[in-house]
Amino acid sequence: MGSVASAAVPPPPHSAPPQAGVPPYGPGLAGILLPRSEGEEKVDYLNLPCPVPFEEIQREALMSLKPELFEGLRFDFTKPLNQKFSLSHSVFMGSLEVPAQASETIKVPTAHYEFGANFLDPKLMLIGRVMTDGRLNARVKCDLTDNLTLKVNAQLTQEAHYSQGMFNFDYKGSDYRAQFQIGNNAFYGANYIQSVTPNLSMGTEMFWLGHQRKSGIGFASRYNTDKMVGTLQVASTGIVALSYVQKISEKVSLASDFMYNHMSRDVTASFGYDYLLRQCRLRGKIDSNGVVAAYLEERLNMGVNFLLSAEIDHCKKNYKFGFGMTVGE
Amino acid sequence: MGSVASAAVPPPPHSAPPQVGAPPYGPGLAGILPPRSEGEEKKEEKVDYLNLPCPVPFEEIQREALMSLKPELFEGLRFDFTKPLNQKFSLSHSVFMGSLEVPAQASETIKVPTAHYEFGANFLDPKLMLIGRVMTDGRLNARVKCDLTDNLTLKVNAQLTQEAHYSQGMFNFDYKGSDYRAQFQIGNNAFYGANYIQSVTPNLSMGTEMFWLGHQRKSGIGFASRYNTDKMVGTLQVASTGIVALSYVQKISEKVSLASDFMYNHMSRDVTASFGYDYLLRQCRLRGKIDSNGVVAAYLEERLNMGVNFLLSAEIDHCKKNYKFGFGMTVGE
Repeated sequence: MGSVASAAVPPPPHSAPPQAGVPPYGPGLAGILLPRSEGEEKVDYLNLPCPVPFEEIQREALMSLKPELFEGLRFDFTKPLNQKFSLSHSVFMGSLEVPAQASETIKVPTAHYEFGANFLDPKLMLIGRVMTDGRLNARVKCDLTDNLTLKVNAQLTQEAHYSQGMFNFDYKGSDYRAQFQIGNNAFYGANYIQSVTPNLSMGTEMFWLGHQRKSGIGFASRYNTDKMVGTLQVASTGIVALSYVQKISEKVSLASDFMYNHMSRDVTASFGYDYLLRQCRLRGKIDSNGVVAAYLEERLNMGVNFLLSAEIDHCKKNYKFGFGMTVGE
Repeated sequence: MGSVASAAVPPPPHSAPPQVGAPPYGPGLAGILPPRSEGEEKKEEKVDYLNLPCPVPFEEIQREALMSLKPELFEGLRFDFTKPLNQKFSLSHSVFMGSLEVPAQASETIKVPTAHYEFGANFLDPKLMLIGRVMTDGRLNARVKCDLTDNLTLKVNAQLTQEAHYSQGMFNFDYKGSDYRAQFQIGNNAFYGANYIQSVTPNLSMGTEMFWLGHQRKSGIGFASRYNTDKMVGTLQVASTGIVALSYVQKISEKVSLASDFMYNHMSRDVTASFGYDYLLRQCRLRGKIDSNGVVAAYLEERLNMGVNFLLSAEIDHCKKNYKFGFGMTVGE
């Protein structure tokens, strides 16, 4: 997600399921940034905090600017069987866009049902999802030692040659993190991020795609205080991405994002807001492509959330509206 | 709407706007059928055949069934805003953004995103009602209802479109007698129609209608009857165009009513039966129905605030695998 260098890898056909155990709306910026302590302390360069993982550098901007917009009806039901194990049922009915000639947008009604099982332990996490169109997604996260974590992510599909698997080994040092990735289709990647000052962390990544003989290298940096987060990412695949998030108050934060793709000459800037209120969470954004989107999650009851999703593309005259309900944690 | 004989006339391209002045959800069955007082249940009154009540207008025979079973389902976003300028005059703005189905080859359903904005003006007087609507795709709809005398009413309904030969106009003359109603219609394309309905007993009314379409040399005749008590309404309609329609609505309580509908079209061999419910609660109105074509639909209007309604509309066609979901908001009366 935060790794622009691997934009050369074809995106997996099944998006990653949301993290289990996170509060219904996501913690928002208020839960992530630490309050600032008084007084100017002398910087102890031997005692810097551990940086965020490399792929989560743009975490705040992505949470505010990229809600899961959808079109149609969505219903999710999560049922905990015991403290560690839960089942989830997810139904979606709506329209999918199919590519058509020229600038026409054509939508076809589709529906699917997804069944999932989650096992959550402090040291071991297992998540499985299976859909009615035959796709299977499995994720494993295992803490081998205090500092070393193994993550496995597999997606199996009915279509030939679309299945994917990825192994990640993460090592967490005192003020640095290192990650090594091995995937199918002979994909190898590595990244490293280091805290330079208490507020600034810098990192680099590289990847190698065996079958297509592609390789790339990228550089990223993140500056954050208790009120703002700014990130910059540059990659040899020709992508430059900047983001900036400002926390106005406990309830409100504003985010903006800029991306330039040198290969496809694509430039996109977006600006959004994130209101985290007691009963609801409202995220809205506007794009340089003329896309306006909004996403509302309202808490009707303990564990019952009502969702409204809207996306209007003024340039292409495309409209997507959806509503849904989430029951359970 | 209630007149099955004129199903031979091509339906107007613009559906009639909802009646202005009705409460946000429509009155529902609770508002139409009078509550039955206790004393009348005990004794059987002798029927005074010279003093029968006036029947409902012929086109509103199936009114209760249509209100419960045919909510305005939509797909996408709908936003209506009505602003009253003074007691009699109000403006309305209506925005719709969503998908429209376009006919495609074989059994495929294809949807194309569309949007339109509709501006309207309403003038309401006890004796005169003027309603105008204009849309961004160039369609204009105008309705006039004028009480010429106490018993005679003139209604005019005109729809003008950009496309040639699709414009329509209709003049209706309604006469209301003591226990009967008569109506005469003149429309463009040389359309002439007449209907007559008469109360036969305090609960039963019967009527007939006929129409003549000049340009296509078509004519038809139909017969309708309606039986209603304070707890139920049953209607039957038969027409020479080959349509037989029955409906039955039962009022279970002040808040709940159930409705069912059956239609048989002899020409196209089409049979449809539907069954629905109508819950009229304090904060919301929920209508649901299921069809013999495998269509399940629901429509929820929730009152968030005084004059602010939130709408949710859902329609699932299991046989054709077609799904339509929409939400919206209505502000103002």
